[in-house]
Amino acid sequence: MQVFVQTFIGGLSLGAIYALVAMGFSLVYRTMGLVNFAHGNVVMIGAYLVSTFYLTLALPFALAVIIAMLVTGLIGVVIERVLRPLENKDFDLMLIGTIGFGIVLEALAIIIWGATGTAVRNPVPVAPLNILGIRIRTYDLVVLTIAALATVMLALFLQRTKRGAAMQAVAMDHEAATAVGIHVGRSNAIAFAIGAGLAALAGGLVGPLLYVSPAMGGSLGIKGFAGAILGGFGSIPGAIIGGLAIGVLDSFTAGHFQGYSELVTFLVFTVVIMIRPTGIFGERTVNRA
Amino acid sequence: MKHVLRTAAVVLAIGLATTAAAACSPPGKDSTNTGNNSGPIKIAVVDAQSGQLSSLGAWELKGARLAADEWNKAGGINGRQIQLNVYDDQGDPTVGTNLAHKISSEGNIAMLGTAESAVTIAMAPILQQDQIPNITSGQSPGLVAVKSPFLFLNGPTSTTYDETLVRYLVDKKGFKRIAMVTNNGSFGKGEHDAFTKSLSSRSVTPIADQVVTTDQKEFSSALTTIRQQNPEVIFLGAEEVQSGLIVKQARDLGVTAPFAGAAPQGTPVFLNTAGAANCEAIIVSSPYLSNDVSEATRKFAAAYKAAFNEDAELHGAKAYDGAQILFTALKNSKVATGKALADAIRATKYQGLLGNFAYDDTGVGIYNTSIGTITNGKLVAVS
Repeated sequence: MQVFVQTFIGGLSLGAIYALVAMGFSLVYRTMGLVNFAHGNVVMIGAYLVSTFYLTLALPFALAVIIAMLVTGLIGVVIERVLRPLENKDFDLMLIGTIGFGIVLEALAIIIWGATGTAVRNPVPVAPLNILGIRIRTYDLVVLTIAALATVMLALFLQRTKRGAAMQAVAMDHEAATAVGIHVGRSNAIAFAIGAGLAALAGGLVGPLLYVSPAMGGSLGIKGFAGAILGGFGSIPGAIIGGLAIGVLDSFTAGHFQGYSELVTFLVFTVVIMIRPTGIFGERTVNRA
Repeated sequence: MKHVLRTAAVVLAIGLATTAAAACSPPGKDSTNTGNNSGPIKIAVVDAQSGQLSSLGAWELKGARLAADEWNKAGGINGRQIQLNVYDDQGDPTVGTNLAHKISSEGNIAMLGTAESAVTIAMAPILQQDQIPNITSGQSPGLVAVKSPFLFLNGPTSTTYDETLVRYLVDKKGFKRIAMVTNNGSFGKGEHDAFTKSLSSRSVTPIADQVVTTDQKEFSSALTTIRQQNPEVIFLGAEEVQSGLIVKQARDLGVTAPFAGAAPQGTPVFLNTAGAANCEAIIVSSPYLSNDVSEATRKFAAAYKAAFNEDAELHGAKAYDGAQILFTALKNSKVATGKALADAIRATKYQGLLGNFAYDDTGVGIYNTSIGTITNGKLVAVS
């Protein structure tokens, strides 16, 4: 029982990170109908920015994360701006463009920070809580709380603000949205910026858990993408549930199947997707291809 | 017009990506001089310069560069300068095999690297066919099993590392309750097999044998299982970053038993990832415990620091030794190539930073490591 609970808690922490990554994927997809393959690399850039502001410039961790979110938000705007002319015209080139941006970002990270990577010290150096033999790291609680707050804020933005409502409208029918005077390009740019900001948040939070290196975006991106698909691509609640589910699933398969855990994780993922192709929440917001 | 410009911007982005990718690719430009008697002597240095194993590649390259610079400053070999051509294998055997085809066609007469046994094993048949001698930094017993007369190791195999470790843990300290965490990559599997073999020769069975994937980052399940077994020591067979994550998470989960392992546990990347406080009393089997072992290591460390402004460590020292052995063999054979160069390497006796090298038919030149423990963040020899 102790192993079961500990495994579950361990999976939740990384699952929260996957959920943040998945939300970025879904937000861009629901707005533009585009899978942003550069997203994992934006996570990595965010992690490096946070580690630089936090370790090198000795800024408080929270401030480092906020600045990194703003900087990566700008990167998101740049990516969208370059891809904008292709929207509704050449979907394939847009996809390839995001892959290209991903490679460029990884190469830039190697040029700026080197290939070796860096460890980030825990910003919450408090001993883990011990509840009936179950150890809960305080930093895991911080990660889960921040991920939950980010989710609530995103939901409020999409549902309660004019700009958020405009983005929802673009997601539902971009032609109708244009007809009523909504600037589709601006909505897309905001989606990219928020998605990139979430990526930086995920990258910043995962730094002290893992190790920041130019290659870290690969596995985080794949797991986050799988989480988004599992939850229902384009659905924000789906991204959260899907991300957490992938994290917990990964943790349990690691315990039971050891060296074959990745295989089993993605086998389970494939079976779920075969049974329910639209994911848990079954949302398929847009398809403009 | 505007549309065309913006489309061009996308193409430019992809172009930049290609350029960036090319920057990580083989830099060998021309295909002239395959062991000619003029011009620089071309040596391929193949290692991960990108990806999670790039720290190994960076250290290896620095060690090889330091040795090459020393020889070049002293006039080179037979009046010819040494030219190191750097190739990025990304720690990927598939990339490695692609590069192996380029090594000889781009004029290299020998290869240094890789640090990843799986990549070296994948490249070995092609290099053997092309008669390119290769001094690798890998340590998996699988390298010996390849039985290539062109493949040499610049350090001991896992068998030596782990036999020394088991001798210390079981014979000297009397530990019987030993748990294991290894990964399923080539290094981890080599460590797993070598360690369990040494244990079984002493009739000791590990009380827990947890295998993780090379990409795994969350170890709660494995570590909680181990904690419940209450081991006296935990053997760790994984690369630097993953070993660091395992130790960090183990301490967070209340695992207090000391860890023991081979080369990765003595590196700065491991210490930084795990956190120095979590590494106290970790037991390490290594052929290069510190920069302060001898006059030669102190001299090497000073030159390394002067050249790269960072402290030297095991992997740089191994690569330095490997490069020195290759250059000595080239000098002794008057810049021979192919089988003659391989024979010259095998005949080279070299007093290196790791010890005295004398190669046998298996391609292994050294068979000893020492035991150290991490004390106050530093690896200190056990008396």
